[in-house]
Amino acid sequence: MTTTPALDRRIARLLTAGTYLSIGLLAIGVVLMAIHGVSPLDPSPTFGLDRIPTDIVALKPEGFLWLGLLVTLATPLVRVAVSLHGYLVGGERRMAAVSVAILAVVTVGVVIGLGVAR
Amino acid sequence: MPDAGIAALMIVAGVAVGTFGSLVGLGGGVLLVPVLTLGFGLPLREAVGVSLVAVIVTSSASAAVYLERHVADLRLGMTLELFTASGALIGGLVAFALSEQVLAALFTAMLVYTALSMARRRDAASTTVSAAASDIASAPSAAAPGTGVGDPGRPYVVRNLGLGIVGSLFAGLVSALLGVGGGVVKVPLMHLAMGVPLRVATATSNLMIGITGAASAIIYLLHGGIDPFVAGPTSVGVFIGASIGSRSAHRVDVRILRLLFVGVLLVTASQMAGRALR
Repeated sequence: MTTTPALDRRIARLLTAGTYLSIGLLAIGVVLMAIHGVSPLDPSPTFGLDRIPTDIVALKPEGFLWLGLLVTLATPLVRVAVSLHGYLVGGERRMAAVSVAILAVVTVGVVIGLGVAR
Repeated sequence: MPDAGIAALMIVAGVAVGTFGSLVGLGGGVLLVPVLTLGFGLPLREAVGVSLVAVIVTSSASAAVYLERHVADLRLGMTLELFTASGALIGGLVAFALSEQVLAALFTAMLVYTALSMARRRDAASTTVSAAASDIASAPSAAAPGTGVGDPGRPYVVRNLGLGIVGSLFAGLVSALLGVGGGVVKVPLMHLAMGVPLRVATATSNLMIGITGAASAIIYLLHGGIDPFVAGPTSVGVFIGASIGSRSAHRVDVRILRLLFVGVLLVTASQMAGRALR
């Protein structure tokens, strides 16, 4: 069974939505940088998932910028997850296995990165 | 300079890099990293992390168009990006073990290689989406034999998968070390070694950048190697620039622009070489 044209369209819509969402969040962050007088050459804020919601509520630029960066990095990963679903539904086991393997490689990167960060 | 002025300057630099890169068919990374290091004084590794974010943004945007028009080969892209992601994972870890001088030397080599590749390229319109779409539309409609790789129904046969895998690992490594999309490696690899039409290779390479970049950018992020105050303005700028470039490509003499680009790359390479020798 071929899943390609429908899957291509679904992924295209996903990538478009992810791009606009990430650029929108980053743009809000940049505007807030200007309002708060933050320079790109100021010391970088440390990354912490738990701080993002409170920073966003407090309208701090780093909250929107970190969330925008996370959406940017997550968009291709969600694309692979959507592909995996499409291939499973289409009965394409080889491509489903490739999709799982890609997600596994990225997961290894996250685990190693978290280990280094500690 | 006031804080807002520096951010505005970074947006403008991003727009210029995105426009220029889009017009000559390259992602922004090859120019963005030198702009951030030589222009704004950022450490090279930090510039690479920021550049990875920018190339993911532009890749996602253009890959959506390529997929919508059914130009990118999703199956081939996903098969190869398993290996570009693996290479990027290794590269993301190695990058933090290398000195700035070594990274600068590697970047210099990549700039010279890219300049030579650009100088030799003949097909001025090879990377535009519209040209890609017409290329596919005019291709013969015979179904490709079942190679197991590549979308079914494509009018070409994907060959030399082993070479493609090795090349993809290398492309991922280069991407993670230098903050570029790696198209200068992947496009010739797919086109010349694997028998994929140039426009499909360009579109598929673009699609692969997202996962390749994300695999290494996650390591940079968790290492503290991505500064959001820099990544924000530059990514927004590169995105705007890439949009401008893709809309105005047909109005510009790309051959002259490409020659100019080769000159810019060589000047940048000489300055980056100076940084490597410090």
